[in-house]
Amino acid sequence: MTRIAVLGVGAVGARVARQLLSTDGITEVVLRDEQTERLEAVARSLGDGARIDTHPYVAPLDVDVVVLAGPVGTHVDVARGLLAQGMPIVSVSDGVADVRGLLDLDIEARERGVSVAVGVAMAPGLSCVLAAHAAARFDQIDEVHVAKAGTGGPACARAHHRALGAMSLDWRDGGWVQRSGGSGRELCWFPDPIGAEDCYRAALPDALLLVQAFPGVSRVTSRVAATRRDRLTARLPMLWPSHPEGGPGAIRVEVRGRRGSSRDVTVLGAMDRPAVAAGAVAALTARWATQGRLRRTGAGGLAELVEPVPFLAELRARGVRAAVFQSDAAGQAR
Amino acid sequence: MKMLRRALVALGIAATIAAVLRVRGTGGVPPQGGGWQELTDTESS
Repeated sequence: MTRIAVLGVGAVGARVARQLLSTDGITEVVLRDEQTERLEAVARSLGDGARIDTHPYVAPLDVDVVVLAGPVGTHVDVARGLLAQGMPIVSVSDGVADVRGLLDLDIEARERGVSVAVGVAMAPGLSCVLAAHAAARFDQIDEVHVAKAGTGGPACARAHHRALGAMSLDWRDGGWVQRSGGSGRELCWFPDPIGAEDCYRAALPDALLLVQAFPGVSRVTSRVAATRRDRLTARLPMLWPSHPEGGPGAIRVEVRGRRGSSRDVTVLGAMDRPAVAAGAVAALTARWATQGRLRRTGAGGLAELVEPVPFLAELRARGVRAAVFQSDAAGQAR
Repeated sequence: MKMLRRALVALGIAATIAAVLRVRGTGGVPPQGGGWQELTDTESS
């Protein structure tokens, strides 16, 4: 009998809960959200396996794993409280402060013998798994470049807007480099039907997770696809209300390194609705946590915590498929 | 007053040029060959 809690039932949280309830062996999903109407609507749509835990939360959660799917910026404090109870945690946040704060919980999590899976969504998350899968093809990797296109729900759209207007965080030659968001335009070729999109630097947490996963890597960058209007208005308040859910999105992960005596590049990607893919990745990670299949205790991204091949195979069974870019001149694929 | 007006005009022109430079152009050349294929080496497990 396995019980999992999902804190936050927005576009991603609702998908996580749905994925969990369709997973063999999970008997109950406990849902929490500050917005009572949304919480009740999601619970109704999920059926018998869902149980609502309404505010004020007097009793501690009696579950095996907690998935944090609430607003960006709230994950660290909640995780700290749960960690004190020895609870394994899966966080879907892609906020730089959240990811940095959660990674800082590594020592405490190791001491308590639990895992804190950080940045478990489409990017970061699936992008980290693809990076680990590509890295296995090399003797030594030198560079990882991540790009993503598309947004999930309204909270994701707001995070995309804020990220473009803030400083980016890249890893270059053993040090952190911060550059203005919206700069560094690069045409990235995503899996069909997304195709080519101009991508820019932004405040994205991917490098924090990937540098920890691949010690010795010399360059890690992350970019996000944006329109000219997005880029021009990034430092202003959002001028238009965000959509209930974005359309199809995609990720692209380019790994460069050495294989034998030659240098090579591998480009992997995936295409799906970001909230759907994030829901599948987070649900599968939570399931693996309950089964003790995560590689280690402590806080880290999926590049460190999961075996890429079986993880991607199980994701594939859930409808999230990865792709590889086959190029005659792979070195010119960026 | 005349100086202030000139400064404002100069700032306006600079901002316009910056905006044009920011929104125009592309970030590179798309790949001329190859394409995406479903990743099949995860099927073994």
